[in-house]
Amino acid sequence: MKKLFLFITLLGFVACKNEPKTIDNSKQDIVISDFKYAKGFHITSNKNFKVLTIKNPWPKAEKSYKYALVNRNILPTITLNKNEFDGIIPTPVEKIVVTSTTHIPALELLGVEQTLVGFPGTDYVSSEKTRALIDNENIRELGKNEGINTEVLLELQPEVVVGFGIDGNNKTFETIKKSGIPVIYNGDWVEASPLAKAEWIKFFGVLFNKTVKADSIFNTIEKNYNEAKQLASKVKRTPTVLSGALHKDVWYLPSGTSPEAQLLKDANVNYLWQNTSAEGSLALSFEAVFTKAKNADIWLSPSYYNSLESLKNANEHYTEFDAFKNKKVYSFVNVTGATGGVTYYEKGTARPDLVLKDIIKVCHPNILPSYETYFFKPLE
Amino acid sequence: MPNQNTYTLPFVVLALLLIFCFLGNISLGSVSIPLSSVFKSLFTSIENESWQYIILNYRLPKAFTAILVGSGLGISGLLMQTLFRNPLAGPFVLGISSGASLGVAIAILGAGIFGGSLATLLLSKWSVVLAASLGSFLVLLSVLAVSLKVRDTMAILIIGLMFGSITAAVVSVLAYFSSAEQLQQYIFWGFGSLGNLSWNELLIFFCIYLLGLVMSIVSIKALNTLLLGENYAKSLGLNINRSRFIIIIATSLLAGTITAFAGPIAFIGLAIPHIVRQVFTTSNHKVLLPAVFLLGAIVMLICDSIAQLPTSDYTLPINAITSLIGAPVVIWLLVRKRKMMF
Repeated sequence: MKKLFLFITLLGFVACKNEPKTIDNSKQDIVISDFKYAKGFHITSNKNFKVLTIKNPWPKAEKSYKYALVNRNILPTITLNKNEFDGIIPTPVEKIVVTSTTHIPALELLGVEQTLVGFPGTDYVSSEKTRALIDNENIRELGKNEGINTEVLLELQPEVVVGFGIDGNNKTFETIKKSGIPVIYNGDWVEASPLAKAEWIKFFGVLFNKTVKADSIFNTIEKNYNEAKQLASKVKRTPTVLSGALHKDVWYLPSGTSPEAQLLKDANVNYLWQNTSAEGSLALSFEAVFTKAKNADIWLSPSYYNSLESLKNANEHYTEFDAFKNKKVYSFVNVTGATGGVTYYEKGTARPDLVLKDIIKVCHPNILPSYETYFFKPLE
Repeated sequence: MPNQNTYTLPFVVLALLLIFCFLGNISLGSVSIPLSSVFKSLFTSIENESWQYIILNYRLPKAFTAILVGSGLGISGLLMQTLFRNPLAGPFVLGISSGASLGVAIAILGAGIFGGSLATLLLSKWSVVLAASLGSFLVLLSVLAVSLKVRDTMAILIIGLMFGSITAAVVSVLAYFSSAEQLQQYIFWGFGSLGNLSWNELLIFFCIYLLGLVMSIVSIKALNTLLLGENYAKSLGLNINRSRFIIIIATSLLAGTITAFAGPIAFIGLAIPHIVRQVFTTSNHKVLLPAVFLLGAIVMLICDSIAQLPTSDYTLPINAITSLIGAPVVIWLLVRKRKMMF
């Protein structure tokens, strides 16, 4: 009887000791990083590795993707269940392939552009730094998105491919995955606001073990953006703004819930379709646009037209808009890299602070007197 | 004499219907403009500047374009169905539109491949027009050359389809090597469009169209005779080769120009001649040609009015409407009446 009592008491002590230990482990080992604006991805940190989850690689995605990011120093000592992850990636990444020009500014801002070994459509790249690497043949041409040259890519042996998806169907990426190279879908283009898109620099920061630097860069961009927004909010006169252009009978322009409309709103201008809501662009008739925007003060981003002459030649209707008559048509298409890549498409996503200041300069010239626009230039 | 009396009433009805559809077309659009303002703007000016511009410079040229396109494609289809003695003949089926598409593809998609200075020239609007016309003419000439050797009409039809496949393949290769911007321009051209012609462009369009129309009218006797068979036509003194050449030129001018200015518009060229034959129950081209002219114009005006989605800010591609309306109508007519007036 006495021995039984002692045994039970001893068992109790052992049980009590185990419990606090478990709780301590949980608290120490799991840290979740959520983000201020970006909704498409998040990062979970464990003791030995991080988990990058891509929640929204394309609109209405039904599946999320998980990647284990393991410091390459301890990678050989780690055992991971491969079925649990869509890819296991050593960090910092030393050889990377990205597939959109919007990914390149992030690499440059983090100072890791030399890790880029391949890109589809190198002519689209406008940045001088990366162009130098291309010209020195450090970055290999991979053909076309939706048709990447698989042989060349496999020969390059990248540690990771950063792709983007429209609907999850890309046979090339499936082939790359089967060869053992992880493919991560970057969904920055799906984000609803300019700062959310810019925050995806943290996605690259975690790949290169530069999360502190990525946070710092983003915080600076955010601060600059909000300062510019605050400055613009004090202006009383808000000019009316038209955007887009006709493609045959249809006029495409940003909807009121698009990131472009957000920039116009933050610049404190009266975008005439601010109150509309649609995923993607609006596709309107000429009559609807003409009636509403004939007297608009400013015309931003008239599609790919690079001069007033080309607008006039394309369609005489354009010459009836007040913005055309007063030569208040502004576009980013004339600011290009050496091989014709449009800088705005590359850098605009990562630097919404510059885009916002450009729009403020165009629409409220007096409040940024010494600022020179980076992307938007008047058409002549 | 009895025949003339029989056809007078249908033609009067068609003419009135054309006028009605024309006025309806210029009255309907995304922007609601009161009927009184529409008519007032035609004879004097109205206070609302935007409305005035929309009616005089957008809706009116678009309506005239619809008339030229609908009537021209109908006549073109009629000529081809008679010339090739084939009820399925039409601008799309025998490769004319494919040839025009290839011409435009070379002009738009080939610009980047051929280099900068040439690109500027090639991308002007008139180059697209010329390229489409030239493309359609060359393909039709090829089909004709083949038809001289192959007598079987069904074989000629298949050969026309094969020409379409060849041109589509070449376009695919050009598309593969093109930039996204060039592809976008080409694809939008393929949707078809009635609303982008200025008055100047419309005038040039009309002149070329008129030439094709006159040649069609001149060919009426030859067309009637051809229905009797080539051997019988020869015995009546018809110069077969010369007549055939004129008909081909007329068809190329009509279909090629229309495709050049308005893009490839489906089903009108095939459907209208059949509808007219069922309604008028005759093979005489003196009756068929003006009837096809009128009904083609009417149908195109109606399709365009629908494509504008009145009171909505959105529009639909004209090509979608012509196909959605044209195909079921032909199926219904042929099933209901069975016999081919051919």
